[in-house]
Amino acid sequence: MTATREIVTDRREEFAFHDDIVYLAETKRGLTRETVEEISGFKKEPDWMLQFRLRAYEHFVQRAMPTWTDGLDRIDFDKIVYYRKPSDREEKSWDDVPDQIKATFERLGIPEAERKFLAGVGAQYDSEVVYHSVKEELTKIGVVFMGTDQALIEYPDIVKKYIGTIVPPEDNKFAALNSAVWSGGSFVYVPKGVEVPLPLQAYFRINGENTGQFERTLIVVEEGAKVHYIEGCTAPIYATDSLHAAVVEVVALPGSKVRYTTIQNWSNDVYNLVTKRAHAYANSTVEWIDANTGSRKTVKYPSIYLRGENATADIISVAVAGKGQHQDTGAKAIHLAPNTKSRIVSKSVSKDGGRATYRGQLKVSPGATNVVASVRCDALMLDDISRSDTYPYIDIQEDDTTMTHEATVGKISAEQVFYLMSRGLTENEAQNLIVQGFLEVFTKELPMEYAIEFNRLVKLEMEGSLG
Amino acid sequence: MTLARPTRATTARAPRRAPADLPFVFADRGLAQALAAERDEPAWLRQERLAAFAAFDSLPVESNQLYTPYIDLRAADLFAVRPYIRTASASASSPDALAVAVPAGTSGLIELDEDGVSLIGLSEAARARGVVLETFGSALARDTAAFRAELEGGALLLASDKLAMLTRAFWSQGVRLVIPDGVALDEPFVLRWAAGASDRALLTRTFVRLGKGAKVALVEDLGPSRRPAAASAIGGQSLFAGTLEIHLAADAELRVASIQDFGPTQIVLQHRQAAIGAGANLHWALAQLGGRLVRSRVDNRLDGDRSSVEQVEIVFGANDQLFDLTSYTRHVGRDTTGNLLSKGVLIDAARTYMKGMITIDKTAVGTDSFLGEFGMNLSKKTRSVAIPSLEIDQPDCRRAAHSSSVGPIDETQLFYLESRGIPPDEARKFIVLGFLEPVVARVPLDDERERLRGLLEAKWNAGLEGAAAA
Repeated sequence: MTATREIVTDRREEFAFHDDIVYLAETKRGLTRETVEEISGFKKEPDWMLQFRLRAYEHFVQRAMPTWTDGLDRIDFDKIVYYRKPSDREEKSWDDVPDQIKATFERLGIPEAERKFLAGVGAQYDSEVVYHSVKEELTKIGVVFMGTDQALIEYPDIVKKYIGTIVPPEDNKFAALNSAVWSGGSFVYVPKGVEVPLPLQAYFRINGENTGQFERTLIVVEEGAKVHYIEGCTAPIYATDSLHAAVVEVVALPGSKVRYTTIQNWSNDVYNLVTKRAHAYANSTVEWIDANTGSRKTVKYPSIYLRGENATADIISVAVAGKGQHQDTGAKAIHLAPNTKSRIVSKSVSKDGGRATYRGQLKVSPGATNVVASVRCDALMLDDISRSDTYPYIDIQEDDTTMTHEATVGKISAEQVFYLMSRGLTENEAQNLIVQGFLEVFTKELPMEYAIEFNRLVKLEMEGSLG
Repeated sequence: MTLARPTRATTARAPRRAPADLPFVFADRGLAQALAAERDEPAWLRQERLAAFAAFDSLPVESNQLYTPYIDLRAADLFAVRPYIRTASASASSPDALAVAVPAGTSGLIELDEDGVSLIGLSEAARARGVVLETFGSALARDTAAFRAELEGGALLLASDKLAMLTRAFWSQGVRLVIPDGVALDEPFVLRWAAGASDRALLTRTFVRLGKGAKVALVEDLGPSRRPAAASAIGGQSLFAGTLEIHLAADAELRVASIQDFGPTQIVLQHRQAAIGAGANLHWALAQLGGRLVRSRVDNRLDGDRSSVEQVEIVFGANDQLFDLTSYTRHVGRDTTGNLLSKGVLIDAARTYMKGMITIDKTAVGTDSFLGEFGMNLSKKTRSVAIPSLEIDQPDCRRAAHSSSVGPIDETQLFYLESRGIPPDEARKFIVLGFLEPVVARVPLDDERERLRGLLEAKWNAGLEGAAAA
């Protein structure tokens, strides 16, 4: 099961790396029932988890490939390595992390982030959590933040109680795939009434050509508790396609508040097919702050099911689609209880032949009285070889809902560019500034460091297109 | 969604029916041949029908995957319906018949009851200017070559739309209106179609062509048949499948107002296609009130530079009516304008699916396009679905936007009216009828406009009584 990988040193972009890693354990290419059993065996999992995986595998095999978005048929499931373990054990502290992996993370800025104010770091290198530290005070107040694999060992009851309840394996083909072969991901548990004072941060990376990455994140926030979780992704560039099919489940129990922030910058060969869903109970607030700049194709609609009275959903979704990219993103708010509120704001930028699609759903079910909901989608197209689509689904089954929806599509105004250039900016700088302003609704919700990093990503994207 | 609704009491256990299934038995190759034979149609027309049948047979009811989750045709029970085959009233379209006096204020009139023509005529002014109003039967007899050129290959009917192909294959009656170049007539043409005989399927085509710079208005009036068989509510459902193809040459202008007020057992399938030439303007004002289940599709193709379309559609749904309305607008030429507005008022357990798609092609520089879908759900069991979509390949637009809202009656408007001494029930009626007024105001014929107002008010009053009784 040990393989040595060839050296690939492609560093065309600042965030694109590849390091030579000796993989200590990996499965053969392709997915069979045996692969699933093998993964479960590597991890020495309890039988119920093996059964969960097998049930999901059966569904994955039977489920047809979705055809409502295009290009997914290019994924060759037989070429993918479904499990790869880059180092043997979960690391206890930064010093123990192998130097090569550490060097990669340092380029990503994890140590600085930690030195500053971030509460915990979970970094995923390929398919296993290799580095993980939780500040002592978090442990003291009972907050659990660790890899989901580790949580299955240490907190099997919580994992068993919630995993697959928010996103069942049968939800869609890629949720089934993830449920069958998941590995890594973050587990967060915040006890009743506890407010986590600082954001929890996890970096995810894909490394290795054709490495599938199937992290499974589970966040359980007890009554009255409060947490902000942040994830960001970068990955190397390769010629053939990688697949990232994650599942994120968030349980926001009554009166809790959860914010989940994502900056996704997969390299442009990755298929990023993610199911993210939260259940919001009475008086809770769930916020998805979601940005997608990388990947060849992203299919992701962070969803909030408003299950309890007075629950609130807030979703900000941002996408930048460049050359060869299709960002098929959006949001869903499903109102199932009275007096619930939701707000969806989507901003997309398409350029250099990229395609940005907003696809979303707003549903008010019978019984969900006195709902207030809004959906706003704005798209900016930087040239006439790009494409922008908007597909909002609005389904209202109550008579006292107040719902508003607006969408606009446009280009950068020549007047604005002219004005900024008259102030001494180059055309590129002017356009960059306008795009950053367009996306500000997102960046202003980020912690400062992330806002800076995100603006830098946008700038790189813009320079790439115009330089 | 999985609850079985015990509405159809069938003897044997019927096979499970998916929401998008629309089963009926009459549509087969044999019928296409029988229609052609009965009418003694030329070989090319027979081939037309067979080609359309082949397309119909191979297509799904909804070919756009964006909309497949929102389709429910289970209220249609069409197993028993039989189509019209016999040749219908060809004599009524003889040149002499056109001399009948048309009502004051109209340029022409054709009245059909089921597949038979009961009245057809043109005003003197229209005849003098060379306007043609005829059935497909008489067009075929009068000038086969011209008719063939117009129809062969399906004309504007989309080969990808199953229900358009249904009508192309199996139409038993057709109406053709041709306005020569430069003819402008202030007084509208009236096309009145009555249908609703139990267990009957009426499949019709309407073809409208305006020459360069022509300018006319058309009122389409779709209502219940006056035939005795339809008067009794007993008996099975009936099907009306109608297509309308509109060609506007350069700088033409057409105003279409449609009032659909079929009976409660009518299944309505409508497909309207417009090709709009340079500088031409098309105005739609569509009112949907009747029918058990209405599935309608409007396609506007803004081919010509500076062409425009304005489409205003209202729905007033009650009881268990379902309105499934799709509108496609495609901007192809430069500096084209699309203004689309759909409004729905729902009471009882009525449902609407409003699906709109604006496509801006790469060639369509300078597009101005707006799509609005607004709903008022006035009782708890109603359901409004709005899917206002955009697909844009050209960002150099004056405007590309949509907006949508669903809400109850605005309390502040109600308060304002009540503060002026208007009783609450009256005030609610004013607000609702005012919400629907944009279409009423666009009906070009006084009588028809008043009739529509009356229909809306009567439906509102009936809904109130129903609510009081409940």
